[in-house]
Amino acid sequence: MKRVSLLVLLLLIVSLAACASSDSAESGEMVIENVQANMAMPSDTGSVWVKITNNTGQDDALIGAEMAGCGAIELHNMFMENDVMIMREVEGGQIPIPAGETVELKQGGLHIMCIGKEAPLELGSSIDVALNFTNAGTMTVSATVVEPGTMNMDGDSGGMKMDN
Amino acid sequence: MKKRLTVNDLRLAIYDLRFAPVYAFILFLAIMITGCGQTAVSESEREFAGALVNSPQPVPDFTLTSADGPVSLSDFAGKYVFLYFGYTFCPDVCPGTLSNLAAVRQELGEDGDNMQVIMISVDPERDTPEVLEKYVAHFDPTFLGITGSKEEIDAAGEPLGIFYEIHEGSAASGYLVDHTARAFLIDPEGNARVAYPHDAPRDGIVADLKWFLAQE
Repeated sequence: MKRVSLLVLLLLIVSLAACASSDSAESGEMVIENVQANMAMPSDTGSVWVKITNNTGQDDALIGAEMAGCGAIELHNMFMENDVMIMREVEGGQIPIPAGETVELKQGGLHIMCIGKEAPLELGSSIDVALNFTNAGTMTVSATVVEPGTMNMDGDSGGMKMDN
Repeated sequence: MKKRLTVNDLRLAIYDLRFAPVYAFILFLAIMITGCGQTAVSESEREFAGALVNSPQPVPDFTLTSADGPVSLSDFAGKYVFLYFGYTFCPDVCPGTLSNLAAVRQELGEDGDNMQVIMISVDPERDTPEVLEKYVAHFDPTFLGITGSKEEIDAAGEPLGIFYEIHEGSAASGYLVDHTARAFLIDPEGNARVAYPHDAPRDGIVADLKWFLAQE
């Protein structure tokens, strides 16, 4: 009995330790890569693209994000229908990130949408983006400000790994 | 040890059918070389970075409003016009297209002066001519942003098959506009020639424009 409670205590400590470090971008094996902020143009909106790999072993979902200089942030998707580009807020306001899978938010598709952008950001500069997950909690990563276009379509030019 | 080829061997080889593909290749090279200076590939055979408009379609003239006054398509006769319908609230496909076209113009160097990019906003409520001017100038100072009443926008868009529709958004976004996301290349005679999808590669558009310029 004593041994079991010791084990429970140990597990509790381990899980608490995991929680404490959840602001680190790689905790819980949720891997965040190619964080790009398309925020340089003088307009009311902007978007953030990111590649998320869920190695946590359990299904998760991106449920929101926070970034300075935006009136509101929504998760949007874009798709073509009969040659018409359509943009909508994602269903339920969240993007599922199933266990073991990689979900890419990228140009012409899923993106974190900044609405009511206060000012354009300088190309090449960095901005912190907090990603909110159902299970993994909040992960803050650094995004590089990029110009949109086909040069960045693959998400691998100008992309940056998180810096913490 | 290789056997040295003699003249006699070559003479025999001429009759050898195994060399038929070699002869075919030499013939092909000869045609290619003599064909230089002329158009090597015809328009129907060439692969463009966008959808080629079958039998060039004359685009009816239209007039919309820029921050500096009225702008008509006919103002740019003699130039290659890229006509793009979008809106500034659009976060990535529209700026991506403009960013690509700015890169195309830069890549073309002096030839870039033969092109004019015009963005027509299908969201005149939010995109005033002043908002548009500031927006397109971010990508290239020569780009023009124009808009107008629904009737005026439709007069420009309908002949090109442009579709757009307002869709209610959230409290934050207000509304979104679904729209045809193609950039049309209009030749110096005012004919629509190529419709580029939003993800058309930059170098492909550059190659297309160089090809068109070489045809003149």
